[in-house]
Amino acid sequence: MKLVSLSLISLLFFAPAWAQDHHASHENHAEHHSTDHSDHVEHAEHEHHTNDAEDAPIHTQLTHTPEIHQALEAGGDAVVVSVLGVVCDFCAKAMDKTFSKRDEVAAVYVDLDHKTLNLVFNPAQSIDETSIRKLVKKAGYRAAELTYIPSMNLN
Amino acid sequence: MLRKIATISAIGLGLAASAHARPVSYVGGWTLIEESDRQSTSLLAHYTPDPAFSIGWKSEWDRQNDIALHGPQFTYLAKRWFGEDYQANLYAFTGAGWLEGVDSNPLSAEGMGYVGLLADWETRSLFASYKTRYLDSHSLDGNFLQAARVGWAPYEGDTGDLHTWLMLEVDHRPDNEEELGVTPLVRLFKDTALLELGWSLTDDQPLINFTYRF
Repeated sequence: MKLVSLSLISLLFFAPAWAQDHHASHENHAEHHSTDHSDHVEHAEHEHHTNDAEDAPIHTQLTHTPEIHQALEAGGDAVVVSVLGVVCDFCAKAMDKTFSKRDEVAAVYVDLDHKTLNLVFNPAQSIDETSIRKLVKKAGYRAAELTYIPSMNLN
Repeated sequence: MLRKIATISAIGLGLAASAHARPVSYVGGWTLIEESDRQSTSLLAHYTPDPAFSIGWKSEWDRQNDIALHGPQFTYLAKRWFGEDYQANLYAFTGAGWLEGVDSNPLSAEGMGYVGLLADWETRSLFASYKTRYLDSHSLDGNFLQAARVGWAPYEGDTGDLHTWLMLEVDHRPDNEEELGVTPLVRLFKDTALLELGWSLTDDQPLINFTYRF
């Protein structure tokens, strides 16, 4: 009896999540992207790497913080990673800790509002797409799309 | 028999102090979870060697019934659902160790073990979780409990802001005199520190939970 009750409660609990997952996949097809955020910079020449299976919206704007700005001034390339499942500061801190350990990374910032991981590399350094996806997974999340932004487009 | 009933009740209430913060962190991350409710105070320290599981040590003190339990806990992230605006998780956990009476309780140390499930669903403004656990030991026939929580954030803070949640927790402990407990609480969340302050309407006791992720 207890097991039956538990199973029913579990099903009731997960039904909304499953429903939203399905709903979200449809919403993503029609999503458009705002470009009027004052703390974001739109760049003309981006290199997009999309995980087609995720079909996630595109966030190609780099979020500027003092650390990000300083790293850009030093001449580093940047990458904006759209990450699924980012809902709280624990998520942000997990990715911050994971990427801060990398020698290639000069600055990192997780933007909860736009669900993006913003990285600026040290000059002449970078991390390839496969490695970034693995690191995001290591932090417990999933990268949907990566947009590499060469430093020449940031100055 | 009385001791057995008392023990079952105590363990049921004590272990019901549930970790609603995520019990699996990023690879290499340490987390400290302190929980204190109407019945008990517990401490769980865990380390995440893999994105799919964490290992830790749990100690718990039932203040009202003078029972303590100790042992390692293993938590497995069975499934994580990712969405643009939400995250949902299903965890399975198990622990084994010993329990014993402390202070005036003469209960001798004996082995114990427990298994459970924890599920949560969260957006930046809505939260729901459910937890169930079954515990057994030499002198127990088995103890079952379940707890559910819903929450709402009145505003959406960005990275590093102070996040505030209003939550309501309802727990069900069939072996207890008060089977249903209701506890409203406030969750304050900033960076890697999470503080929960609540009050049990059932027992007029405070709830104070604190989580820190290193």
